[in-house]
Amino acid sequence: MRGRLKEGRTAQEDGADIDPGAMSTLIEESQDIHHDAMAATTTSLDEMVDAGMEARAHGGVDLDESREVAARRSHLLTGAAFGGGLLAAAGIGAALQGVFASPAFAASATDVQILQTAASIEALAVATYQTALTLPFIGGAAANGVVKAFATTTMQQHQQHLTAFNAAVTTLGGTAQTNPDPALLKVVNAAKPGLTGPGPVVALALELEQGAAETYVADVAALSDANAKKVTASIMGVEAQHAAVLLAVQALLNGNAPQLITLAPGNVANLPAAAGSVGFPQAFYPTDQARPATEGAMS
Amino acid sequence: MRRRNQTPEILAISEHELTVMTNDLDQIHNDVSMPAMKMALGEWTDKIRTSRRGFLIGAGAVAGGAVLAACSSGSSSSGSTTTTAGASKTGALTGDLAIAALAASLENLAVAAYGDVLTAAGQNKLGTVPPAVATFVTTAKGQHAQHAAGWNSAITAAGHSAITVPDPALVPTVNAAFAKVTDVVGAAQLALMLENIAAATYQNGVSAVTAVSSIKVAASIQPVEMQHAAILYFALGQYPVPNAFSPLTGARGPSDYSGG
Repeated sequence: MRGRLKEGRTAQEDGADIDPGAMSTLIEESQDIHHDAMAATTTSLDEMVDAGMEARAHGGVDLDESREVAARRSHLLTGAAFGGGLLAAAGIGAALQGVFASPAFAASATDVQILQTAASIEALAVATYQTALTLPFIGGAAANGVVKAFATTTMQQHQQHLTAFNAAVTTLGGTAQTNPDPALLKVVNAAKPGLTGPGPVVALALELEQGAAETYVADVAALSDANAKKVTASIMGVEAQHAAVLLAVQALLNGNAPQLITLAPGNVANLPAAAGSVGFPQAFYPTDQARPATEGAMS
Repeated sequence: MRRRNQTPEILAISEHELTVMTNDLDQIHNDVSMPAMKMALGEWTDKIRTSRRGFLIGAGAVAGGAVLAACSSGSSSSGSTTTTAGASKTGALTGDLAIAALAASLENLAVAAYGDVLTAAGQNKLGTVPPAVATFVTTAKGQHAQHAAGWNSAITAAGHSAITVPDPALVPTVNAAFAKVTDVVGAAQLALMLENIAAATYQNGVSAVTAVSSIKVAASIQPVEMQHAAILYFALGQYPVPNAFSPLTGARGPSDYSGG
């Protein structure tokens, strides 16, 4: 699904006729709605703080839960759930399995690793969109207004996700992860020389968003802490929405119809039929591209 | 469904390329997401069959089907959103199965609502229907049907009849809203409301269910409903990703289905 930007296309040709004023209004409206959504996530994080304090005060965790988490983590470390196996191959899995074999080991330790990996994915996303916005055909004056607004807003949303995941990490006693996912960073760095037009940038962003969404879908089944699960669940669908938009944008770019990437009223009447379904290709969200749970964890 | 007669050449090319891409994506869907989904459902149904919980659910049936039938007939209208009677053997589903029943009924509601939109469009009651909207409605309807089938596979594995009725608590609201729909914009707004409710319900559901396999199922559907919503926002000329964190606003609970 990588972009196939037509050679010779100029940034001006990729521009669409949009109303910057209307776009700003829409962004403001969406931010108002966002504040309402943020309240629910903040509540979950606050509950995590309370629960964490209570757990520490009582000096222990539920043993049954810990055993269940240890078993689940063991399953994850073998790569069976996330399709990884990389840790086992690196010899790290056996060492960690020894630690997790103890039921007394707090469930939060497992969750911390998952959440640190999530934070590392978000850190990379923020950095990638920041870089993209320095490119004239994404963040410049001649860029498509909707694409530019999307890159800007999405970067901000990922920054908020990073903050939320790290708040969860520190609440559970871990160290905030602000470094990018090391494996995905290599992918981004390898792609950078080829970011010569909107198509490759959209393809790279899509790869990151799809990976993030799939990782979080897998995470909500692996996390033990109820509030960590709630926070992750409130983010996974948003990444899927980013992916949906990018799929639609990619299709319109590949179809040589960048002028249709607009939020102008009535634009839907001009869209080709296939644009109505290209943004949601699967009835059930897959997890085959989910990142290994400990890929971005701190030692 | 009426379509525009005039298609500029550039769009004709785009149409072909997009259709090819859609077909590719559909193939990916069949290759990747469906096997994973079947595995999660398989894990769940195995657990249902073998667990004590499953035994209790199977033994605790009451006349829930009558409640559903009453809800359905009591809220009938000119639309087909209210469907015919549901599960004949459905009882007081509890635990994860109660969430599954709620989810199936919500999916049934979405399928029926999109079906009503297609019917109205075919009767020229919505004005000109853009081709992208027609594709959206048809595809989303099909995906909601797959979601319903997924939930029902777990319910039937527990010895209960499949849930075939729409969420009885929401049917009156949807029927009333649909009665006011006169064009594509109105239909899209109604669809957006249903998609956001479904997404919020699943998001809440990942915390409400207990089995890991149940969580996997709910988690694999919530992002898809969110994607439906994003495309609807775009079609309505609104910013497609309005929230950094998806809200729980409008999430439905199991009482929708049981009436309790």
